[in-house]
Amino acid sequence: MDRFCFKTNIWIVLLALIVATPIFVVASAWLLPGGELWAHFAQTLLTDLVVSTVILLFGVGFGVSVLGTILAYLVVMVEFPGRRWLEWALFLPFAIPAYVLAFVYLGVFDYSGYAQVWMREALGLAGFDIRAGHWAIILTFILVFYPYVYMMARASFKRQKIHMIEAGKMLGASPVRVFWKISVPLARPAIAAGLLVTLMETLADFGVVSLFNYSTFTTAIYSAWGDFRSIEVAAQLASLLVLVAFFLIYFERRARGKAKYYSIDVSHIRPYTANGWIGWLLFAFVFGVFMLSFAMPILQIIIWSVDVFAKEWSGKYTGLLTSTAILTLSAAALTVTVATILALPSSCKSKSNVLQTLIRFSTLGYALPGSVMAVGLMYGVQNISLINEYFGGSSLNHLLFGSIALLLFAYVSRFMAIAYNSANASAEQIKPVFEQSARLLGASRFRLILQVYLPMMTPGIMAGALLVAVDVMKELPATYLLRPFGWDTLAIRVYELSAEGLFERAAVPALMMVVFGAILMLAFNKLDSSRL
Amino acid sequence: MFTKRIIVSILALATLAVGSITQIQAATDDTVTVYSSRKEHLIQSLFKQFTKDTGIEVNYLTGKGGDLIERMKLEGKNTPADMFMTVDAGDLWYAGTQDVFRPVLTDTLQNNIPSYLRDPSGLWAGLSVRARTIVYSTERVDPSELSTYADLADSKWQGRLCLRTSKKIYTKSLVASIIHNEGEEAAEAIVSGWVNNLAATPNAKDSHVMNAILAGQCDVGLVNTYYFGRLIEETSDAPLSLFWANQETTGVHVNVSGAGVTKHASNPEGAIRLLEWLSSPKAQAIYGSLNKEYPANQSVASDEIVSTWGAFKQDDMNLAIAGILQADAVALMQRIGYK
Repeated sequence: MDRFCFKTNIWIVLLALIVATPIFVVASAWLLPGGELWAHFAQTLLTDLVVSTVILLFGVGFGVSVLGTILAYLVVMVEFPGRRWLEWALFLPFAIPAYVLAFVYLGVFDYSGYAQVWMREALGLAGFDIRAGHWAIILTFILVFYPYVYMMARASFKRQKIHMIEAGKMLGASPVRVFWKISVPLARPAIAAGLLVTLMETLADFGVVSLFNYSTFTTAIYSAWGDFRSIEVAAQLASLLVLVAFFLIYFERRARGKAKYYSIDVSHIRPYTANGWIGWLLFAFVFGVFMLSFAMPILQIIIWSVDVFAKEWSGKYTGLLTSTAILTLSAAALTVTVATILALPSSCKSKSNVLQTLIRFSTLGYALPGSVMAVGLMYGVQNISLINEYFGGSSLNHLLFGSIALLLFAYVSRFMAIAYNSANASAEQIKPVFEQSARLLGASRFRLILQVYLPMMTPGIMAGALLVAVDVMKELPATYLLRPFGWDTLAIRVYELSAEGLFERAAVPALMMVVFGAILMLAFNKLDSSRL
Repeated sequence: MFTKRIIVSILALATLAVGSITQIQAATDDTVTVYSSRKEHLIQSLFKQFTKDTGIEVNYLTGKGGDLIERMKLEGKNTPADMFMTVDAGDLWYAGTQDVFRPVLTDTLQNNIPSYLRDPSGLWAGLSVRARTIVYSTERVDPSELSTYADLADSKWQGRLCLRTSKKIYTKSLVASIIHNEGEEAAEAIVSGWVNNLAATPNAKDSHVMNAILAGQCDVGLVNTYYFGRLIEETSDAPLSLFWANQETTGVHVNVSGAGVTKHASNPEGAIRLLEWLSSPKAQAIYGSLNKEYPANQSVASDEIVSTWGAFKQDDMNLAIAGILQADAVALMQRIGYK
């Protein structure tokens, strides 16, 4: 590594290490004994939950890939009735927190929900327990997370050269064959990236699995901590999640292979038009997904909130909205700032495998359940305090716990994957030739970044910022544990009311979250279409 | 340049965020700081009333019981918390073992709260009683069929029972009390009988258990009475009723929500005053009726709806035992496969 590279890389190394702090703290739990509890888990929970976690990951992974890809392909490549508005409407489910969606689904489709009541009373069918088995929770996750794949695949399809598809058509290939042989292989890296994010979120989820009373790895993590008061074993289990995520990233890189696309051309011509009943069939399908994943749940939330709105609404909501907005926006800004520095193209970086791995490592917080991340951070602070006390200083714990600084740190660490992937995707579009020319012309790296890289990366950076903002808005466990006094968010209000069984009242803040999230998603869409 | 402006504003926002970093609450003499796992909407009006009565402000932070205990442990002697309030005897007991509380044994507290609802050494006091008992469908169950928690393991309830998840702390405390009353072996037989009788995967919420009974998925279940109270408040003609379990034997399992003054409280006098005030008849009446729970202070009458359910015999096992046996209870349920 020459001196020039050392200078650029050292900053990246430091930044990545700082972001990865909670992961190191969590992994360091292996230095502590776990012993008996592991034996107990091995005898009781472990087999069952490894099996169900694997089934869940496969089911959800397969489902989101298929659904997200097909939807993206349809809205990009085919002209059918309603296509224009459905293209952006399909983003909207992002704005609904997964646990809220799961809650609505259970309210509607469980044995006592009106869908099943109607089925039994009007159709005379037998009722069933939708929480038994795997399919219902898998379907729920698919409807919650398909937008990740949809979003990535859609962007990728838009960049596919129209003439490749025209060539396929002229050679007599059917649309289905063109889809399988040309479009999907080209979009593979994008689909894999969306899939990766989905799987990491599924692994870390606690809200949906506890509503379905389904056992995954997080069940054991929470049991170790909540039941047996063993933070060590909880952290050890959580670090296994990180390990799984690391392998997933590795496979995603492999799936991507050497493929690099430097194309930023976008065509607005749709190669296929679906007329007549086929067109309406496509509409029915896409519209059905939109109904199930967004319109129906929102309608239910509105119905719940109408009656109790007057009772639940108070001046308190000004505070809830303000703190949600401040946390959301500042976390998004901070996260993308760091992510951009990590993602800036440089030949020094691409030459160093260690550096690339380290950066990838710093994005693994996404696979940690929020509360484990938060406790990891608290123990990180505790270690600093201990060092400080050793040198005669005093503990910093009480200053940092419940400070906005630590909470923002938690967000940056947890959502780095989202911001980085997005920034990196646009960085990868930048041809290395820019760096070479800049060097030849004697332009400083600073000027290169400011005048070439940042403008080219801006769409990716902004998209990342909006996605992080939506994720922070929905985040519960870390916010709940680390927030300062008086910084309650909408998500906390939803949780506190629904935990006490006051679902109707919980619908009021939930609705506000959806509205806030939908505004962000629409901004995202606006930005997305202006860059395409 | 547009992009430049965006970038500059992002950086500015980021700086602002980092700059606004620490917000340390300056605790004045007239403020009591409470960490509470009792939800905000159930404590806010109480604290307001306390401030009105005494002039002492209450600053509070809600969170999950285990999380808050961890936070207080790490904050050590610098913790801002003067009082820790939580909704399960197991959490109170655990906080006691983690050296979070200081003993408070004032006459007022001893007079207001019966001894089995307090920690033997005065580390914490129960402030409301939560009874967990049988709820049944009045359409499909004759109350003469019902008797004890153990009886729900009988094969006559095959496919007719709904239970809340074993992950919920109320279930853990109930099973801990069964271990205490019947012994580990008998408890294991009872719980596995329950699991065999289940009509559906254990529910995430007590209210889901009652919905399932109303929908006909099952006929009996176990719930905390205040969930039933809220349901009856909304739909007074719901074909559901409570049955007091174990009246011929050990009595209905009760849990408490309660609080203690922290060891490192910076305003212990204020916190003790708050704790005593919370045990007073005035506060107890609000405390109980806000959530249809039973007042811990026996001189205070229950809420109107609650009192229609009649008096019942409570299990007077000291609640610290529920805490001690909780890990055993969880291990037992995990062995049996009660999800």
